[in-house]
Amino acid sequence: MNTVKLLPAKASIIIVGAGIQGLALAFNLAELGVRDILVLDAGYWQGGASGRNGTLIRGAFSSPEWTRFFAHSCHLWQGLSKRLGENVMYSRRGYTMVGERQSTAELLDRTLEVHKTCGIHSMLLTPTRLREVLPALAHERVSAALHLPDSGVAPHHAAMYAYRQACEACGVSIHYRTEVTAIDQSAGRVCGVRVGEERIASDTLVLAGGAQSNHLAQLAGVPLDGYPMRLEAMALEPTRPLIGPAVALLDRLCYMHQTARGEVVGGAEVAERPQHTLNADVPVMAATARAYLEMFPQLGHARILRQWAGLVHISKDFGPLLGAHWQLPGLFVSAGWCYGHAGAPAAGELLAKAIVSGDVDERMRPFAVDRFERNLPVVEPGIVLSHFE
Amino acid sequence: MSVVDLRLAHASHETLEFFWNGRPLLGRRGESLATALLANGVRTLAWSRKSHRPLGYSGNYVSGVLARVNGIPNVRLDLQPVSAGAQVQMQNCWPSPGFDLLRLSRLIPAGWIQGGFEHTNLVPSGSALFQRWEALLAFLAGVAEPAERAGEVAVPTARYLSADVLVVGAGPSGCAAANEAAQAGRSVVLVTRGQGLARYAQAAGRGVPSLDERVQLVTGVEVFGAYREGELLLAAPHDPAQGALVLEAQQVILASGRRACPPVVPGMWLPGVMEARTALIMAHEQAVAPGTRVVVVGSGDEEAVARRLRELGVNVVAARSISDLRCVAGRGQVRAAVFAKPVVCDAVVHAGPWLTDASLTFQSRAEGLLQLREARVTPFRIVGAAAEADQSLPVAARSRYKSLLCPCFDVSCAEVEELLAQGIRDLEVIKRLTSCGMGPCQGQPCWDSLRALVSARSGIALADLPRPTLRPPRRALSVAQAAGLADVVAPLQ
Repeated sequence: MNTVKLLPAKASIIIVGAGIQGLALAFNLAELGVRDILVLDAGYWQGGASGRNGTLIRGAFSSPEWTRFFAHSCHLWQGLSKRLGENVMYSRRGYTMVGERQSTAELLDRTLEVHKTCGIHSMLLTPTRLREVLPALAHERVSAALHLPDSGVAPHHAAMYAYRQACEACGVSIHYRTEVTAIDQSAGRVCGVRVGEERIASDTLVLAGGAQSNHLAQLAGVPLDGYPMRLEAMALEPTRPLIGPAVALLDRLCYMHQTARGEVVGGAEVAERPQHTLNADVPVMAATARAYLEMFPQLGHARILRQWAGLVHISKDFGPLLGAHWQLPGLFVSAGWCYGHAGAPAAGELLAKAIVSGDVDERMRPFAVDRFERNLPVVEPGIVLSHFE
Repeated sequence: MSVVDLRLAHASHETLEFFWNGRPLLGRRGESLATALLANGVRTLAWSRKSHRPLGYSGNYVSGVLARVNGIPNVRLDLQPVSAGAQVQMQNCWPSPGFDLLRLSRLIPAGWIQGGFEHTNLVPSGSALFQRWEALLAFLAGVAEPAERAGEVAVPTARYLSADVLVVGAGPSGCAAANEAAQAGRSVVLVTRGQGLARYAQAAGRGVPSLDERVQLVTGVEVFGAYREGELLLAAPHDPAQGALVLEAQQVILASGRRACPPVVPGMWLPGVMEARTALIMAHEQAVAPGTRVVVVGSGDEEAVARRLRELGVNVVAARSISDLRCVAGRGQVRAAVFAKPVVCDAVVHAGPWLTDASLTFQSRAEGLLQLREARVTPFRIVGAAAEADQSLPVAARSRYKSLLCPCFDVSCAEVEELLAQGIRDLEVIKRLTSCGMGPCQGQPCWDSLRALVSARSGIALADLPRPTLRPPRRALSVAQAAGLADVVAPLQ
C-alpha cells in the first residue's frame, strides 16, 4: 500500500485525497464501470482525518437535510462489509444523545419530530429505559435522551482497510506520499495535475483532500468556502465493556464510545482560535476528562493512554460541500466534512452517480458547493461543534 | 511457583501483609507491590491480551505490572508501595484468577492470533452474529473489569509552576545543569520521577550530586508531555489523588537519561527479564534481587552492572555481551539465557542497548502538517546520557523460536515480516495494521523494536524509518487529574 509505483501518464478520473471520502468515491466510480481511476494522497494511509476521527456513525440529526443524507449513509454502512468483501466492523450498537439542560431536552423533542417526518427509527428514552441502555451514566444530571438504535460505530482502520482492498481489487490505482503540486487547465476546464515534474492528464478531477481542501482549491484557482479546524480526541486505557452505545453529550459538545478494544475514545470541543496543526493541546483533554468524570463517574480513576488531533475542513454551516464546482468544468469537490467518516458511503455513492450520469440526488442537492453563493446554508442545530467567535 | 528468598541483606524488617488474588503475602516496608510479589516468588503478574502469555515486572513493558488494587483496575504495581491489607488481583482472568478459563487461549496456535485489529471475515458486520461476536471481543480485549461505582472521583486541582529554566531529570547531569543556571542568577525548577536526587546514580554506586539550594526541586512526578511547540509541559505524580503540574520555562533542559530496550530476540518478554536500571534501583532501594541466578547481558557495561549487583548481594552467574544472546529460553518464566551454549538462570538483566525516550523532543518539534512538511529542531537542550546517540538493537535471525515485538498485543516478528513481504514498510501503516505499540505502553519500547526489525529485514537505514507519533500522556495522567487542568490551562484565543 505504500510500495513505490509509477504514476500513469493519464487517468479517466483523478481523485486528490485517499482518505475515506476519496476511497469511497473511487470504489463507487469503479462499480459504475469507470476504469483508470487514480487516487493521489500527500500523506500516509490513515494519516489524515480518516485515521484520526472518533469512528461514530450517526444516522440522524436535527435538520431534515442532514438526517436524510446521514440516514442513507448509515443504511449503507450496515451492508458495507458484504459490498466491499471485507469486514468494516460496523457495530450497530445504537447512538444516544444525552441532554442536561432543559433547552436541550426541548431540542431533542423537536429533533424527534424531524425524525418522524423523515421516517427515522428513533426514540426518547424514559429514565428507566436510559438506565438499561447506559447504566454507568450519572442519571441525576440528565434532562432527556434520544436514542438512535440503527446508528453505531465502525473502526476507521477496518473501514479504510476494506475500502482500500475493494478499490485495489477493482483496479483503482492509489498512491500515498504523492503530493499534487499543480492543477492544469486548458480551454477553461480541468486537463490534469502535476506531481512535481510529472504530468498526469485527466478531464475530471475530484478534490477530496480534507483539511487541505482550501489549498487544493487555490491550486485550481477557484474559490471554496471553509477553513481547516483542529479537532482533538483521546483514548483511555481499556476495560471490559462499561458503555454500550455511542454517546453524544450535547451540552458539553462531547462525543464518546467504548471501542471493541475496550478503550473509551472521545473528545469535547473547546472554543479556541482555529489551529492548523496536528499537535494535541491541554484544554480539550481537560474538558473531555471533566465530561467523563461527571457523566460516567467510574471513569474517574482511568488513565489516559493517548491524545491526538486531526484536521477537518469546516464550512460555514458545518455541512459538506459536495458536487461539481460552479466555476471550473471538470472539477468536483467533496469537502467540508466534519462527519466525513459517517457520511462516506453515501457521499461516495451519490457523488459517483453525479459525476458519471450528471444526476444530482435529492439527498445531496442541499449540500451543493455553491450554496453560500446562493445564500442557501443548511441549518443544523444538533451537531457537536461550534465556530470560534 | 517455588518460594525462594530474593530479599537482600539490607532489606527492611518491617513486614506488611497484603493479598494477592486473596492469598495473604508478606511485603516489607519500602517495597513496591511488584517487588514484594517478586520477593514472594510471584513472577507472572499479568497475561498478554490475546495469547495469554505470562508477563511480569520488566521495567520495559508496563502491561506486565498492571493489576487491580483495592477495586481500581490497571494500577501500576511497580509504582504502588506495599500497604497493609492491600487487595491485589490479577486481571485478564475469567471467571477467577484461580480458575481461569481464558488460559485456554494459549492452546490456539500462535499463528492464528494476530496482534492487529480483530479483522476477521469469519463474522462480518451486518451478519446476525456480529454484535455478539463484537461483545465477546470487547470482553476479551478489555482485560480488566471497570472500576467499582463509588460516586464521583474528587478532582485534584493542577498546580502551575514557571521558572527561567526547567530541568527534567535529577541525575548528575540534571543537577549540574540546574546548578549552573542557578549560579547564573536564573530561577530553576528541577523535576524528577524519583523521590530524591540521582536515584539511578546511587543505585549504580556512584555518589549523590549536590544541588544548589536556590533550585526548586519537585520530586515524584513524571513529565509526560510537551505542548504548544514546547512552550508548555505537563507532569503528574503517580498518585491520582494529587494534581497534575503545568510547567512553563524560557529554557527547557532534558537530562532524562537513557533506558535499556530489550533486543529483538526470542523470549525477551518472559517474566524474569529485567531492564538494568530497574534491576539496580530495585536491588538498591528495595533490597530485592531480580532472581536467584542472574545473567547480565549488556552493550559494554555488563561487567560494571554485574559487579554492582554482586556488591548489593545479587548472585550473578554470568555477564556477557548482548550481541551474543541468541534467545531467552523458558515457557512460563526465564529458564536459561542461550548464547553459543545455554546458561541456566531465572533472571536476565539487560544493560543496553541504551536509548533515549524521544517523546518530549518529538512533541516539542510540532507534528507539523501531516508530519511531512516540517522537520523542526527541538527547542529543548539535551544534556548527559540523553544526548548520546541511540544504540542499535540487535535483531535475531529468523528462527523457530517465538519472537514478540509487542507482548501486550501479541504482535510477533513473523506478523511484521509478512507485511514486509507484501511491500509494506511504512511504520505508521504497520502500526495501524498490527496494533504494535497501541497498548498500555504506547510503543515504548515496541516501536524501537519494530524500527530495528524493519530496518534489519528490509535494509532501510534506521534514520529513514521515523518513529510513529509519540503521543502523550501514555497513562501518566488519570481522568481526574486531567479534569483538574481545566482551570489552569486556557484554550488558545
